[in-house]
Amino acid sequence: MQTLYNFATGPLLWASFAIFLAGSVWRIYSMIALARKKEMSVYAYMSWGFSFRSIFRWLTPFGTLGWKANPAMTVGTFAFHLCLLLLLLFAPGHAEMWDYNFGLAIWSLPEWLADTLTVVVIACCAFFAFRRLRVPAVRYVTTTHDWAVLLLVFLPFISAFLAKMQLGNTLFMTLLHVLSAEAVLIAIPFTRLSHAIFSPFTRAYMGSEFGGVRHCPDW
Amino acid sequence: MKKRHLAGPFRAAALVAIAGLCLLMWLPAALSQEDIKELKPEALAPQTRPAAFFMHDAHNEKAGIDDCTACHHGKDKDGKMDPEDNSAGTACVDCHAVNARTGTPLKRAYHQQCISCHEQKNQGPTYCGGCHKG
Ligand code: HEC
Ligand code: HEC
Ligand code: HEC
Ligand code: HEC
Repeated sequence: MQTLYNFATGPLLWASFAIFLAGSVWRIYSMIALARKKEMSVYAYMSWGFSFRSIFRWLTPFGTLGWKANPAMTVGTFAFHLCLLLLLLFAPGHAEMWDYNFGLAIWSLPEWLADTLTVVVIACCAFFAFRRLRVPAVRYVTTTHDWAVLLLVFLPFISAFLAKMQLGNTLFMTLLHVLSAEAVLIAIPFTRLSHAIFSPFTRAYMGSEFGGVRHCPDW
Repeated sequence: MKKRHLAGPFRAAALVAIAGLCLLMWLPAALSQEDIKELKPEALAPQTRPAAFFMHDAHNEKAGIDDCTACHHGKDKDGKMDPEDNSAGTACVDCHAVNARTGTPLKRAYHQQCISCHEQKNQGPTYCGGCHKG
């Protein structure tokens, strides 16, 4: 298992990064090509002003009608994405690897805070799962794809938490953490997780169409 | 009553003797690396992770490392690392300050030395909990 761990943190990691980057570039490129073919008009009314107006609006908690309509989901979504990003960039364990691999001493979250944010992400995942099971409107549109993606994103956090708390086999948990995180990375361009790369474009498009064509805000 | 007074000096002498014996028993241990079981240098306190598990002699025997300089390297006149010079007995912190601005700071020194060998040999833990276990 130790050998597999070394492989997962070595060659496999670089392969995942490569697939993620190449996949993302390809997805964005083909989307642009598709728009050129089917909706040439898009290019006429795309506007930086309307794009950023929409992006900032939707980045503001409760800044839009959509966010106001469903407060619990809004809190859950913002908490989930904020904690996820903070942990990805500043988890103390991640900082340690920047330090000994590249000699970069980067700032990191205190251990207690990182642990807390991890629990918040896990709780958000549980909330998302609950919605998919219990809220009829959500359950109706839920597919296996949604469940797979939710499980995939949940795994790196639960395994990180268990490894940190040294519950269960620590090597297994750490290995699961690395492998599932790599799986998420690879899945981003090819699944619903692609909203991570497409959401700014989606918002820019909506913002521009509503602002420039329909002359009304998109929130 | 009298007996008790007489016992006083004897008791004091006995206590001193026991204390002395204890000291003598601890002395060799304090001077050798034999009883290193984990690394928890004062300089890195307060530790945020469990101390790194490291049974000095057992580790080196199991890993088949005979050469002390594999870990205890020295420093040459120019302040560069001298891989030949044996510095066994000198703590890492004596040459690697915690917040060293030039060269390798203490925590990085431990991590790079321990983890790079484990990676190269593909043996020994390279995941956090493999060394930092409670
Ligand atoms: C795998 C690496 C490694 C090897 C090989 C190694 N040591 Fe050490 N040794 C250490 C570390 C790490 C420490 C703790 C130093 C510190 O934390 O400052 C240490 C500490 C010591 C100490 C100091 C004990 C104390 O209480 O301060 C002595 C003496 C020592 N080693 C002798 C030796 C001798 C002799 C050899 C060769 C037979 C040897 N070591 C081989 C890693 C190693
Ligand atoms: C007698 C002084 C001295 C002692 C004791 C010492 N080192 Fe070093 N070490 C140096 C010098 C000098 C360098 C080169 C400059 C630098 O990187 O700090 C160095 C470099 C290193 C490097 C970087 C290696 C490289 O190839 O660049 C590591 C890792 C390291 N030491 C670990 C340790 C560990 C772990 C210990 C304790 C077991 C230790 N050192 C004890 C002097 C020492
Ligand atoms: C020069 C190479 C080398 C260096 C340096 C080294 N190790 Fe190791 N270590 C090994 C090897 C090889 C093994 C595997 C031994 C085995 O299981 O047969 C090992 C195993 C271990 C284990 C598992 C022990 C067990 O009983 O399963 C621990 C813990 C460990 N090392 C800690 C450390 C720490 C802490 C340091 C730094 C102070 C360190 N090692 C430095 C080579 C090294
Ligand atoms: C091969 C063994 C080894 C591995 C693997 C390892 N460390 Fe360490 N670590 C050490 C040693 C040795 C020290 C210095 C002794 C100590 O303070 O425990 C240390 C010190 C630290 C310290 C400073 C002391 C403290 O507790 O605050 C932190 C933080 C740390 N390690 C975090 C990590 C993280 C995070 C990982 C995984 C990404 C990791 N280490 C992997 C051996 C290891």
